[in-house]
Amino acid sequence: MGSVYLLTLRQLAGRWRLSIMAVLALMPVVITMMMLRSDNAASVVDFEQTVLGAMLAGAIAPLAVLAIAAAAFGNEVEDRTLANLTLSPIPRWKIVLPKFLAAITVASPLVAVSALLTAHIAFLGEWPATIAITVSMAVGVAMYASLFVWLGLVSAQAIGIGLLYIVLWEGFFTGYVSGVRLLSIRYHAIALMHGLDPRRFPTEQHVSLAAASGFAVVVIGGFLLLTMRKLRKMDVP
Amino acid sequence: MTTDPKAVIHVDRVSRWFGSVVAVSDVSFDIGPGITGLLGPNGAGKTTLLRMMTGLAATSSGTVTVFGQPVRDNPPLYRRMGVMSEHETVYGFMKGREFVTMMGRLRGVSDLNTAVDRAIDLVDMADAQHRDLDTYSRGMRQRMRLAATLVHDPEILVLDEPLNGADPRQRVHFTQLLQTLAAEGRTIVLSSHILEEVEQVADTMLLVVNGKLAASGGYRAIRAALNQRPYHVRVVSDAPRRLAAALVGLASVDAVHVDPDGALLVLSRNVLDLQIELPKLAQADSIRLHRVEPLDDSLESVFGYLVEN
Repeated sequence: MGSVYLLTLRQLAGRWRLSIMAVLALMPVVITMMMLRSDNAASVVDFEQTVLGAMLAGAIAPLAVLAIAAAAFGNEVEDRTLANLTLSPIPRWKIVLPKFLAAITVASPLVAVSALLTAHIAFLGEWPATIAITVSMAVGVAMYASLFVWLGLVSAQAIGIGLLYIVLWEGFFTGYVSGVRLLSIRYHAIALMHGLDPRRFPTEQHVSLAAASGFAVVVIGGFLLLTMRKLRKMDVP
Repeated sequence: MTTDPKAVIHVDRVSRWFGSVVAVSDVSFDIGPGITGLLGPNGAGKTTLLRMMTGLAATSSGTVTVFGQPVRDNPPLYRRMGVMSEHETVYGFMKGREFVTMMGRLRGVSDLNTAVDRAIDLVDMADAQHRDLDTYSRGMRQRMRLAATLVHDPEILVLDEPLNGADPRQRVHFTQLLQTLAAEGRTIVLSSHILEEVEQVADTMLLVVNGKLAASGGYRAIRAALNQRPYHVRVVSDAPRRLAAALVGLASVDAVHVDPDGALLVLSRNVLDLQIELPKLAQADSIRLHRVEPLDDSLESVFGYLVEN
């Protein structure tokens, strides 16, 4: 398993990819600082909706994870190197799990650091809120990673489909159709944040911490199982 | 189909189609220890067949078993198999040795360093093992891929067009290596679209044309069948009409046609005899031969003949 993990880390940690992610990750920090300097300081609700919900959980985290996780299998399929792994005498989960973990390893530090700095600046060093935001974003990264790792295996157009998903599903439909929120990764990442620090983030509008955690487990486990199934059934190029 | 008791790979009525395109159609054969050449023109279905034999692709119908077990979705079986695809499936950011080591680790090799040394020595790449794979020539990459295929000492080797990019010296080395490995009791399947390439090394041949098994057996029998097919040979000489008159008297010649440009078009069913008799005839009649060329010696026409017959 270590070999697949290390191989995937090297494949994913390309300089251009990390540079783009670093720029993306800086955006909420910069915008938070600008909001604080503004004469009309934003309320917690405004900050949550604009910076945490729309920007961090709804755009930056999924975009960064898409760029990385879709390549975990996508690059192998495109380069036709996937057969090196699938012709190894190892169970398929020992290919899928390390690829998923490698995608998280590359994607989560930047998103988590971005979340931590954003929260620390916005809430003036208030640790419960900072931890709640950082942990929920990290879980969000894991959920998006499981989805996009699977997408990278099933489609050669994973980036395009992933972008449509982020814009239309996470950005548009879940914002306007309330029932759809229950199938949104962004919504449940934010719900986790509320559950982890209910004092700072009231929970009335969101599902409970247990429900959000359960959703995360189902999403991650479900997409990992789908990826393993696909790897077993597909024609490997 | 009955199974050969010595068969290591058993392909039983296998077909594969992609939409309306039939890539492989109702193919059955057994492969035992030794070297088997899978031969056919480009697009004949060789790679699809090899991919089904290694479990990389599913069959649309029929079954493939290796050591009596289904090959598809059977990871433990891959410990006994080494597969080298036609594509250059290497990681450019790795060094040669690093690639072989990783493949050995993935295949659960216990004494990894010794196995890697042995595999790299086998393909004669020790001097270049610490260079980036990106800096290798195509032939060098092929050899390092072969080392990675051999690192876990597999009982079966499936090699798809392994001589692509190899220079003549590497071909000789590769041929000797395969013969050594086969002599140790391994089962080796080697595909190529070049008849001579397979002929030099394979004990048995499987000929695939248009997704069907056109012929199988020892290469001598197949070669003999090829030599009996009608050949068109174009002959340019300084006395075409005199040469034509002499040629029609030969038993190996079926017909002679004189082209308007003065060249002769000779139809022969025994091209081996014609090869011997034509120069003798020309010498006896003091005719100078400027050019002798087979017109339908392409692999497609050779295989087409075998399919028709």
